[in-house]
Amino acid sequence: MSLDAKRIVIAVLSFFFLASLLLVAWRETLKQRAEEEPKPIVTATNAACVTCHRQRSAGLVMEWEASRHAQVGVGCVECHQAREDVPGAWRHEGVVVTTLVTPTNCGRCHEKEVREFSRSHHARAGEIIYSLDNVIALKIAGTPGNPADAVNGCWQCHGSLVRFQRDAGGQIVRSGPEGRPLLAPETWPNSGMGRLNPDGSKGSCHACHSRHEFKAKLSRSPENCGKCHMGPDHPQIEIYNESKHGIAFYANRDRMALNKEGDWVLGRDYAAAPTCATCHIAGYVAVTGEIKGNSHDVGERISWTLRPIVSTKINLVRFSDGTQDDFPDTRPLPAVGATVDTTDYVVENETLVTRTVPRTVASVVPWQTRREAMQGVCRTCHDQAFVDNFYAQYDSLVTLYNEKFAVPAKQMMDDLTAEGVLDPRSPFGEPLQWTFYELWHHQGRRARHGASMMGPDYTHWHGMYEVAKTFYTEFLPEVVETAARRGRGPEWQAKVAALLARPEHLWKAGLSPEEAGALGQSYRQRYGPKSEPAAAR
Amino acid sequence: MRERLRRFFAASFPVDWDQLRALGAEPVPHHLKHWWWCLGGTPLYLFIVQVATGILLTLYYVPDPSGAYESVAHITRDVRFGWYIRSLHKWSATLMIAAVFLHMLRVFFTGAYRWPRQLNWCVGTALLATTLGFGFTGYSLVYEQLSFWGATVAANLVEAVPLVGHPAALLMRGGAEVSGNTLTRFFVFHIGLFPTVMLVLLFLHILLIRLHGVTEFEFPREQVAPAERTFPFWPHHATTELAIGVLLMYVLTILALTLPAGLGPKANPQVTPMHIHPEWYFYFSFRLLKLTSLRTSVYLTLALGLGLMGWPFLEDALHRWLRMPRDASVVVGVLGFGAFLVLTVWESLAG
Amino acid sequence: MDGGRRSFLAAVAAGTGLFLSYGLFAAYAVSFLFPPPVRRRPRRLFLGRQTDFRPGEARALVDDRGRTLLVIADGGTLTAFDTRCPHLGCQVHWEPKEARFVCPCHLGMFDRNGVAFAGPPAAAHQALTRVPLDVDAVSGTVFLRSDA
Repeated sequence: MSLDAKRIVIAVLSFFFLASLLLVAWRETLKQRAEEEPKPIVTATNAACVTCHRQRSAGLVMEWEASRHAQVGVGCVECHQAREDVPGAWRHEGVVVTTLVTPTNCGRCHEKEVREFSRSHHARAGEIIYSLDNVIALKIAGTPGNPADAVNGCWQCHGSLVRFQRDAGGQIVRSGPEGRPLLAPETWPNSGMGRLNPDGSKGSCHACHSRHEFKAKLSRSPENCGKCHMGPDHPQIEIYNESKHGIAFYANRDRMALNKEGDWVLGRDYAAAPTCATCHIAGYVAVTGEIKGNSHDVGERISWTLRPIVSTKINLVRFSDGTQDDFPDTRPLPAVGATVDTTDYVVENETLVTRTVPRTVASVVPWQTRREAMQGVCRTCHDQAFVDNFYAQYDSLVTLYNEKFAVPAKQMMDDLTAEGVLDPRSPFGEPLQWTFYELWHHQGRRARHGASMMGPDYTHWHGMYEVAKTFYTEFLPEVVETAARRGRGPEWQAKVAALLARPEHLWKAGLSPEEAGALGQSYRQRYGPKSEPAAAR
Repeated sequence: MRERLRRFFAASFPVDWDQLRALGAEPVPHHLKHWWWCLGGTPLYLFIVQVATGILLTLYYVPDPSGAYESVAHITRDVRFGWYIRSLHKWSATLMIAAVFLHMLRVFFTGAYRWPRQLNWCVGTALLATTLGFGFTGYSLVYEQLSFWGATVAANLVEAVPLVGHPAALLMRGGAEVSGNTLTRFFVFHIGLFPTVMLVLLFLHILLIRLHGVTEFEFPREQVAPAERTFPFWPHHATTELAIGVLLMYVLTILALTLPAGLGPKANPQVTPMHIHPEWYFYFSFRLLKLTSLRTSVYLTLALGLGLMGWPFLEDALHRWLRMPRDASVVVGVLGFGAFLVLTVWESLAG
Repeated sequence: MDGGRRSFLAAVAAGTGLFLSYGLFAAYAVSFLFPPPVRRRPRRLFLGRQTDFRPGEARALVDDRGRTLLVIADGGTLTAFDTRCPHLGCQVHWEPKEARFVCPCHLGMFDRNGVAFAGPPAAAHQALTRVPLDVDAVSGTVFLRSDA
């Protein structure tokens, strides 16, 4: 090849090389330099903790690193530090810490949320220690030396009264070279909502905001509430799952902005569906366009109490010290400025005691106002007529349950107790008492909750159907039978007969000929000849 | 003014331009027009590419287990044209080794290793070893899983060498196990020791070529006019080298664009990956290990290595003592390279 | 075209090709030399609550960009400054009694607002860089704002 030819070859090859270099430049511009991933900040204060615990509690540190706390440098010490005089505090590697992080700790920064939470029923969930449920778990299902049913069951949702292990002299048992105080195993671990903490606070933020990632997506998801708000006595999560709200949620989970940083507002950040948090806590866009903020006081928008035997509307009485109480509408409302005796449940010497505390009324929030607050959420997606009609439906179901079954049944139970047939010292001694308990505490609640959150199957089949069946086939016969064993049979037979004579119970006497004929006709038309139930022929 | 400048440069840089021109015009035998004979300059050019890209990479590379992998990721992902420079470096390594193999084949099959050039063949084999050493240490610096475990396996192979194995492995690893020390050593080998050795050997290699001169090579059917028996180094042969250089840059860039250097999982000293393999140029040895015992393959590889380096002397001895015709070397070469190919391809398909 | 011109053109073509291609390559290599910019997102750093700071306290910390900062609680307000002296980069310290920042290298001095009043920084009308703080009105928590 001649020299000139070689030079031409060089020129041509250079051209190809140059072209390839241009492709390189193009590739270079395409290269998306990934945005700096938010890295956790380990401050000097927390460096020692993280280094050691990265090995000893690797999962825990990994979770924290993924949290928003880590993004701003809030670490171990900020949450776990304690004053020396707090029960359960000990000096760990030079820092005074506590194992239990309570609302007091979280409240250092999350002051508003803790303030709202502390006055709510969530914080008071641990006070059921005096309730009938506790009797079931501790006495009926448990033994004096083994409260395991309460420990593993009731208290894991409601919260335990946290105690320390004590020696014979009553001193806290400590372990290890640092003298770490040991917590009593029946009371901890426990992340129940109303946990009674040694530092005097009530509640556990961790119940909803699982540590150590404290992920917003988790807290806002319905499954979170479903840990406790489920089951035969208050199947809220099951009802939600059945309802159109729940269906919409599960189909649109990725459009819910669940992990949005900061506030989470219905009508601004998401609209596909409400979750539990939406209606009961979170912010929404009001009809005026103004954004209503969230509140960790979960009862603020509740107008009925569906908990008791007979449901009532509830008014909110707020006191000057920041506490509040629900006043059922059967109780006269105090005036602002009046002094009212309230019952406080406080922990003294690791026992829950009640104290009567007079408090001054600062404001009264009637049930109508609470309902309006809830309706504000509904109005973000539904119009007022829709909402009004829904509440009419809901109210009518609660009223039906109240008037047809709850009130007469409760009256009977009260009368039987007054007459000495039932012994108040033995709340579950008679089968009748179990029947009545399930009637209102399980079936009756299912019916009411089902109506409140649009779960029709729970309202009817798991609810009113079972209420009716229990009432007619078990409760009433057992009333008579129990009374008979105490020699008051005929009297109570008459009372039950009198009840059944009321118009709403007359169906028991049987269908009228016209009603039977109509029923038979409809069966024959739908299912063919000879298909009608025997009674209708 | 110009006169003064000219005199200043002439005095401070007393180059005899006429002598230089004469040197440049040195006659190069016509057979070097055949492209097979460019395979010597090719690895040299690629070595220059390696040095240039290598220096650039060293500016960002962190030679410590805590930072090595991340620094390579940083180069690949963030640094401007980092992926390109790194891919050039990776592909240039492969092409350089391939070119060295091909060059050795050319030298072998043209008998250019014979007297009086036996020593130069040995220098050349040493250059091959150094190049393979570059490849091995360079790949280990990335600190991927394969880097770490490759280094572990290689060091254990070295251990199995008789007599010097254990101290050699200790020297190589900087300890009883592959650790941070190993990475430091490999880094120093890669950017310090081997380049120095390479330069010395290259100097020797080229010196010996210049001292011996290039013998004319006759192709059977080629007719060469007397005037064309030689052609001047400058500009003709130099231009050829330049063309090859540009071609190589083009090929390397295309490879960098289509098959850029990636990054496997980071080295984990606790976990050996399921599929482990060295770089392609060690496949033959890897396959050998799978076919025979450790002892056998180490001895065999050593023997083959020594056999390769000493072939000129071995051929002489065989010719003298066993009357082996010299041309039988061709058969040996074909068989030897054939075996290498078979083992390499086998490993690449099966592994 | 005669041989001489052809050779000349060929040489020019080759030379230009080589110059452009290798030149561009060299440009890439030079570009490679300059460290890539780090893309940062605005970050917030938790400092504690306003009430955690004692009056007159000067708390030192290192932020996520590696700057050493001083948070001064002076007269009820909190301010944060980069301790890097604008003169030649030494680290200043806070003297609470005199309410001033002092740079040990050439005795530059800055008032409580970070404005230089003595030494070389004053002559050049320089001031310490202030880092913004976010104080939450409700909870009193203080965050350092580290913008991109």
